[in-house]
Amino acid sequence: MIKKWLRPFEEIAGNQRYMITGIWIILVIGYWVISSLGTKHLFPTPVQVAGGLRSLYNEGLVVHIVSSLLLCFKAAFISIIISLLIVYLSPIPLLKPIALFFSKLRFLPLTGITFYLSILVSNARQMQVWVLVIFMSLYFITSLLAVLKDIPEEEIDHARSLKCSRWEVLWEVVIKGRLDYALDVLRQNLAIIWMMLVTVESILVAAGGLGVLIKNSDKFANHGRIVALQIVILLIGLLLDWILQTLRKGLFRYSTF
Amino acid sequence: MDITDSAQGPFPLFYILIKMTIAYEQKDTILHVESLSIAYGDKVIISDISFTEKDTIRKDKVQGQTIAFVGRSGRGKSTLFKALTGLEQPTTGVVLIPDFSQSITNGNQPAKKVREGDVGFVNQKYTLFRHKTIYQALQFSLRNSSISASEKQEKIMKYLADWGLEQCKNQYPNELSGGQKQRTAILEQLLNSNYYMVLDEPFSGLDVGNILNVKESFRLVNESHELNTIIFSTHDIELAVELADSVYVVGYPKNNNGTLNRTGTILKHFDLKEMGLAWQGEFTDKHLDVAKEIKSIMLDS
Repeated sequence: MIKKWLRPFEEIAGNQRYMITGIWIILVIGYWVISSLGTKHLFPTPVQVAGGLRSLYNEGLVVHIVSSLLLCFKAAFISIIISLLIVYLSPIPLLKPIALFFSKLRFLPLTGITFYLSILVSNARQMQVWVLVIFMSLYFITSLLAVLKDIPEEEIDHARSLKCSRWEVLWEVVIKGRLDYALDVLRQNLAIIWMMLVTVESILVAAGGLGVLIKNSDKFANHGRIVALQIVILLIGLLLDWILQTLRKGLFRYSTF
Repeated sequence: MDITDSAQGPFPLFYILIKMTIAYEQKDTILHVESLSIAYGDKVIISDISFTEKDTIRKDKVQGQTIAFVGRSGRGKSTLFKALTGLEQPTTGVVLIPDFSQSITNGNQPAKKVREGDVGFVNQKYTLFRHKTIYQALQFSLRNSSISASEKQEKIMKYLADWGLEQCKNQYPNELSGGQKQRTAILEQLLNSNYYMVLDEPFSGLDVGNILNVKESFRLVNESHELNTIIFSTHDIELAVELADSVYVVGYPKNNNGTLNRTGTILKHFDLKEMGLAWQGEFTDKHLDVAKEIKSIMLDS
């Protein structure tokens, strides 16, 4: 059995896959416990992390999670609407440069954009939302343009051969025919936004959120809390990813990728 | 050759050909291609393509037309097919089909330039809408039809039953077998484009069973209306000769100095009806001779 585990491209049974995953988890936890023994250690001990988690919960961790999720969902909603509109109109030659221009803007640094946004938006919470919207949209547009580019010409010709007008081709092949891809683009880009949340939430401490909790913990070098928060952020991110993946497969039976 | 009547003209033709075995008549022109060429920039892909196909009538039998195009890879068959379906605009020349929306004047059916959607097109991958079930796809094909919703449903259900697709009507393309996809793609175009259907290499990469499925689909299409016309390309020359009643060989013609002129055109036409080889139901030695001649032309092109 072990030999199979070490042979490249070997197909292994499902229960063996779980076994391998379990072994790795035990190894990581084991390394964590061993490396945190003694007086000098890089990571806090599991006990310190559990203590950090407890103190975070007592400080209203759930409220902060809800605040972060609301910020994330609000930004994602606005962003996906703007991005889809720009990308779905990009097959029109006159409007294509707009989508391409926004896609190129993803190389702009965050600082420059926040400077101009702070002039335009007075409300700090709005500022958080729009920083996320701008960054999310630039990545959404780039990913969605790639989805459009990958639509085979045969699909367009197929629709045209069925007497579809160009607008019908856009509706049937690009919009309806790629809804599942749009949802997957949202899933992939949400990870980037979730990562950016800590930075963005530090703009407005009063609004709370996981970013504020991390910042405060960082200030006091409370390692137990920092690692506990990292684990919470990671698990919520994975949960969001799983929900969107399940949603795509549930809503679109034909979506097999 | 027993030609008993040979009155000829471009569109209102009516002459009768009687063979030893199978008698047929030819009526109006159903497809007229004249001086067709397509170029992308300076690169001319096909040129000087002209041919005419007529409606074939057989006594006591509904008989559509099956036209095959054969030729080596890269000779412009797919480009020609795109022009025949209106998906590609000709650089020069025209593709004309009868305009059935107009009434016959002076005994002639008015002709019109082919536009996208007039002629169904099935590519070798049998592309379908990935987000529509078979039933939804056929419903979409009939969306412009003037018949009522209940008539549409009845029509779809009849076709699904005839074509053996009733059980999988609520399945998406990714849930279908290769054969089911083929039949759906052909049916979709049949419902939408009325009489014409172009299939680009429909037998490519198919196993024996699926080849039989497609052949059966051809028969169903051919026998459902006398104007139904299937145009297909294939690299299987024997299959082309067996199935078609008209075969065109596409290739590069030779220059005077013996070199190849790298622009595709029609090199030869075999009218298998006239040769007494169409609709035989079996592949005979005569079919084999034609196949050999076609291969020889192809090898020189």
